[in-house]
Amino acid sequence: MRPTRTRAGLLPAVLLLLAAACADAGPSVSPSGGGPSSPAGSAAAFPVTVTDDDGVTVTIQAEPERIVTFAPSATEIVFALGLGERLVGVSGPFDDFPPEARRVAEVGGAGDFGVDPNIEQVVSLQPDLFLTIKGGDQWKERLRDLGVPVVTLDATDLDDLLEDIRTVGRITGATEGAESLANQMQAEAQGIADALAGRPAVTCFYETFYPPLYTVGPGTFIYDLLERAGCDPVTAPADQQYPEWSVEDLVRQSPEVYLVSSESGSSPRAVAKRAGFQAVSAVAAGRVVPVNADLVERPGPRVLAGLRLLAEALHPDVLV
Amino acid sequence: MRTAVRFRRVLLGLALALVAAFLLGVAVGAVWVTPWSTIRLVGWKLGLVDRPEDVARSAEVIVFQLRLPRVLLAAIVGAALAASGTVFQGLFRNALADPAIIGVSSGAALGAVLVIVTIGAGSLGAFGVPLAAFCGAMATAILVYRLARIGPTVHVATLLLAGIAVAAVISSVMSLVMSFSGEEIRNIYAWLLGGLVAQGWRSIATVLPVVAVGLAGATLVSRELNLVALGEERAAQLGVEVDRLKRRAIAVGALLAAGAVSVAGVIGFVGLMTPHLLRLVIGADHRRLLPAAVLGGAILLILADLAARTIIAPSELPVGVVTALLGGPFFLFLLRREGRRAGARG
Repeated sequence: MRPTRTRAGLLPAVLLLLAAACADAGPSVSPSGGGPSSPAGSAAAFPVTVTDDDGVTVTIQAEPERIVTFAPSATEIVFALGLGERLVGVSGPFDDFPPEARRVAEVGGAGDFGVDPNIEQVVSLQPDLFLTIKGGDQWKERLRDLGVPVVTLDATDLDDLLEDIRTVGRITGATEGAESLANQMQAEAQGIADALAGRPAVTCFYETFYPPLYTVGPGTFIYDLLERAGCDPVTAPADQQYPEWSVEDLVRQSPEVYLVSSESGSSPRAVAKRAGFQAVSAVAAGRVVPVNADLVERPGPRVLAGLRLLAEALHPDVLV
Repeated sequence: MRTAVRFRRVLLGLALALVAAFLLGVAVGAVWVTPWSTIRLVGWKLGLVDRPEDVARSAEVIVFQLRLPRVLLAAIVGAALAASGTVFQGLFRNALADPAIIGVSSGAALGAVLVIVTIGAGSLGAFGVPLAAFCGAMATAILVYRLARIGPTVHVATLLLAGIAVAAVISSVMSLVMSFSGEEIRNIYAWLLGGLVAQGWRSIATVLPVVAVGLAGATLVSRELNLVALGEERAAQLGVEVDRLKRRAIAVGALLAAGAVSVAGVIGFVGLMTPHLLRLVIGADHRRLLPAAVLGGAILLILADLAARTIIAPSELPVGVVTALLGGPFFLFLLRREGRRAGARG
């Protein structure tokens, strides 16, 4: 990437895709070969046709036996549905949960920003399902042309995620497992909502990167979790999903809780030392809380742990 | 003497405009602080009045810890870029030379990134990154100069081609370094994108001495740059040690660019537009052009940054986007005009 400031607008995209990227594109030996295994759910009726979050209609002819996930969140969903054995490829070192995922071959690291899959490698794995997230329309098109069924998941809020999990269940034949996972997550979310019922929302700010200061706006999965955790983000007026934010405005709004994503690379101590930040209520009151980004920024089966974490940070007196 | 009068008027006008831009930059931002509040806050800091009770503490922080250092940093970086552009344009005898266009800024960025990746940004003290940026800028400037020079002159086409080629190589090396950088990639992004937002007063303490030395150096070479404008042979006949001058001018231009890049990343076109516009007004005498460009560059970057932080407030634009939007068309216009001139010369 060229070091020009004009490319700065790409940062949010690049950072997000970093999660799906890796420098190490070389083929690695994979012990989980992905041979046929018993279906994790009930025998669903194949072929299954779905319209994915890119608006593309995909038909899965038979129950997939060789799955490639190109996003850590998709990897986690596949494992949570008990389909880890069928995984033949993941995006890269960011696909680190569950730990078994690290033993699967990596297919990422190609393209201009190192965030595309290596098409040759994907094809050589002969996947019958390729699960990924938004972005990369061009390589997706290529993969489809080469006969790889690509399904895009794009969860913009928790309900959307539960729907995505059910969709993955349907197209992998793990319908029942997906249903029970989604229901369980739904119930947990409800429990947290009940515990927080009647509590006034506290103002908060979620830092994804610094410097410059980047945050989340409405319409993102993280923003939805913040609201569910009883927060009123001061970035509500943002019209971008991942805007660069004015420190002046942060100081003026002075949120009560300052959340720092672990992907930001900062610590609460470093936050307190920045110019002007002492004037933010959260910093003055010591309410700068590091957040494990894996639990909050990956729309996957662990987000309820993330939601609980956020709720505890925002409302420490409420036992959730 | 009419040009001298005119020069003094222009310089005075620029100085007043700088004061106005500075005040505007401090008065306006993503958050509205009334000018009256700002004035009283400043008066209070100067010990003239008591702390104005009705002004929020947040306004005080915004004005003194966020805006003031940012506007000052914009002024220093803008001045450095414009001075660097002036020196390179004089040295190359080419109005299209700009530290970003000829790849010197990229070289500085690569130097800085290499230090960040290998030993960490803070390990050499405050001046580690500027020093590395300087080495990168210097090496690039020498390389581009050698490549671009055919016989005694540096033609537009060869200069641009050499700059583009070198910048492309540097950009690839940068990508390579970043691919292998692992966790450090975050620091690199932060550094590349940090721009004027990042460090407040600390950046100013780092960059001010570097730029001050650079500006002093630029002042020293400006007379000899005038003689080089007559052609290197003439300059030599007039007693200029041309090779020594070139080394010095490259060092000065590289130092100024490195100072700017080390705190603000690569910001294009300030070094191109400022000297060029002012040359049209006050002529090509570097002893006059340099101080005018310093003021003009400061004004330009203060205003560009003001636009960057207010247009889509409370979100922000990178300031490089604003300067590129202004400077890109300007560059194309110049290129076209140079082309016509070359055509006219046959």
